[in-house]
Amino acid sequence: MVYIKCRDVVAKISDIIDHEANLMTRMRFYGHIMMCKNCRRYFDQFKEVHALAGKVTADDLPPDFEQVMGAVMDEIEGHKDA
Amino acid sequence: MQGTGVFQGDSDDLTALKAGDSDAWRVVLVRYGPSLLAYATRLLGDRASGEEITQDSLVNIYRTIDRFDGRCSLKSWLYRAVHNRAIDEIRRRKRYVDVGDTGLEDYFNGGGRWRHDCLGWDGLAAKQLDDKRLLGRVQEQMGRLPHAHREVLLLKEVEGLDSAEICAALEISPGNLRLRIHRARAALRAAVVEA
Ligand SMILES: [Zn+2]
Repeated sequence: MVYIKCRDVVAKISDIIDHEANLMTRMRFYGHIMMCKNCRRYFDQFKEVHALAGKVTADDLPPDFEQVMGAVMDEIEGHKDA
Repeated sequence: MQGTGVFQGDSDDLTALKAGDSDAWRVVLVRYGPSLLAYATRLLGDRASGEEITQDSLVNIYRTIDRFDGRCSLKSWLYRAVHNRAIDEIRRRKRYVDVGDTGLEDYFNGGGRWRHDCLGWDGLAAKQLDDKRLLGRVQEQMGRLPHAHREVLLLKEVEGLDSAEICAALEISPGNLRLRIHRARAALRAAVVEA
């Protein structure tokens, strides 16, 4: 299998995570990860932070959106009446 | 209330929207309003500005809906409007944080190998950290990233837009988006793990 450098492994991580890497790339990637402690650590950290970023979600939706949307609706309805 | 649902019956509703039907507009606001407001707030960094920008943008969209040609989804169009207005405001206040040198290349030597050992926790240590504290840290660091990184992460990881929607909202190519997502994630990893 063709050797892949650490720099190229790191560059491919998002493609791997997003399932956009082809079979050959995945094989080279995981083959390298098994052998290389630094890339493995980087990959683990990257995945962990990525997973956490995905958890920054709707739980902190602005509570006052009703008020903001109300103001927009006033504008829309006012406009119609005008 | 979900802000990220698929806009069903887009063309039918679009006719109503263009006719100024307030019920149709209410549906749009309920569907996308919370997400747009959350996005603007996170991008701008404070709630009051987020509300102001979202409100302004939505009123402006209402007034200019005739210009919407349907070449992208209404959802992308809404995000684009809020995004552009927010970035204008950030630039006007001279608060725009540029990407600068991302530094990814600094990790490697001329042969493409690690220059030093990869910094930060190993997989096991990460599992032992308090999840909630770590999530808070990710959220905090996301809010400090350069805007070009922050916007793609918010749209992709937080708002959950698909790639086509993000490309349309930010008016960038798929190739450019791939590159920007990777750089943004790498910057977030560095901020969270190495800081
Ligand atoms: Zn390596």
